[in-house]
Amino acid sequence: MQCAESLRVQAAFDGELDAVSAAAVERHAEHCPECRALLAHLGRSRARVRRDLDYAAASPELRTRIARMLDAEQVAERRAAQPRPAWRARPFWLGTLTGAGAALAASLAAVLLVPLLPGSLPDELIGAHLRSLESGQLTGVVSTDRHTVKPWFAGRADVSPVVADFAGEGYRLAGGRVDELDRQRSAVLVYEHGAHVINVFTFMPGSKPLPAQVSRRGYHIACWRGGDLGYCAVSDAGWDELGGLRSLLQDLAARDTR
Amino acid sequence: MDDKRTRFEALVLPHLDAAHRLARWLCRSPSDADDIVQEAFMRAYRAFEGLRGADARPWLLAIVRNCHLSALAERQRRAHEPLTEEHEAEPALAARLPDPESASIERDERRLLGRLIAALPEEQREVLLLREMEDMSYREIAAVAEVPIGTVMSRLARARSALKALWPEAEGEPRAVR
Repeated sequence: MQCAESLRVQAAFDGELDAVSAAAVERHAEHCPECRALLAHLGRSRARVRRDLDYAAASPELRTRIARMLDAEQVAERRAAQPRPAWRARPFWLGTLTGAGAALAASLAAVLLVPLLPGSLPDELIGAHLRSLESGQLTGVVSTDRHTVKPWFAGRADVSPVVADFAGEGYRLAGGRVDELDRQRSAVLVYEHGAHVINVFTFMPGSKPLPAQVSRRGYHIACWRGGDLGYCAVSDAGWDELGGLRSLLQDLAARDTR
Repeated sequence: MDDKRTRFEALVLPHLDAAHRLARWLCRSPSDADDIVQEAFMRAYRAFEGLRGADARPWLLAIVRNCHLSALAERQRRAHEPLTEEHEAEPALAARLPDPESASIERDERRLLGRLIAALPEEQREVLLLREMEDMSYREIAAVAEVPIGTVMSRLARARSALKALWPEAEGEPRAVR
């Protein structure tokens, strides 16, 4: 019991018909009560659906997840684009081996040498930062509460960092984890600033020089000292953003020792 | 420096809310919807070079829909369950409409609308959303849903017909339409 024109009436309502056909539908509806009722219903339901049926917009958490996913995708792309290390870059004694023996030795060397020959501090920091983004394991403890995060480090890390959430200033504490850095168990605080993740590594640098600002592969590293502790903030955020977090942490550390 | 990501964020990211709405409508679970959207954005980023100046929104929404379907297939494969959402579930629809008693109790009009739409077969729900919320043309909807335009029109008509229950005592419209 449906007028044969109903689909055309609907198409006219949806603006899918050219002017001539739309006018023809209009004339038809003047004489067809069923299609007049249909048009009224279409208008009312559209208004009702547009007014009442809207799910909340994507959450900030989802936006952050997508930004992180894109970070990891970029990391993977850059890695795939990087040339393999040249033959000369291998240890000299590998040059005497050939074929399968070389492949085996190389894989053994990769396992054995990496922990023994740590790269420069910036390389280590970038490596740890990228691993945390790629693995999705940003945090070992997830909390914005410093009373949760700070005790979590006890016994896990070699240092006890100052911990605070600076959400009010735009730096949300997402949690903490422990990363190997300079052969120590460094305490890492994870902050979120807009779509950026900032890892702050705290460790004992000894007399090792700390670069104040250095860039590697599009990431920024800002380091500073406080007492006998060294702090390194790593992120794809800009220098100003890193500097802002550094000031907050320095102020906090100063208050803490008083 | 990273041109691809900049272009992706300029062209695709603005449609995040639309992608999220579609995922929510399709899978009805907020956390599943977030997973689907994240997966869809990953696929979109990887396939981004293939977009080549085409309109990003129908392209992205088609990916969202595919991610939803593969997540659904995966869940069903794991649960060894047959499809629960029958494609020709029309007769059952009338039974799920609220009777006049409960409709009068149903003060919250939003809840009634939400229930009616949740009761729609998925294929009708998606065309209704794409048309009314995303304001897409039949041609764009057909591309997202991977069906001919005629099918879009008939699904849309059926979905809208089910919404007649929003106005049980509408003049000249008998309620028990099949």
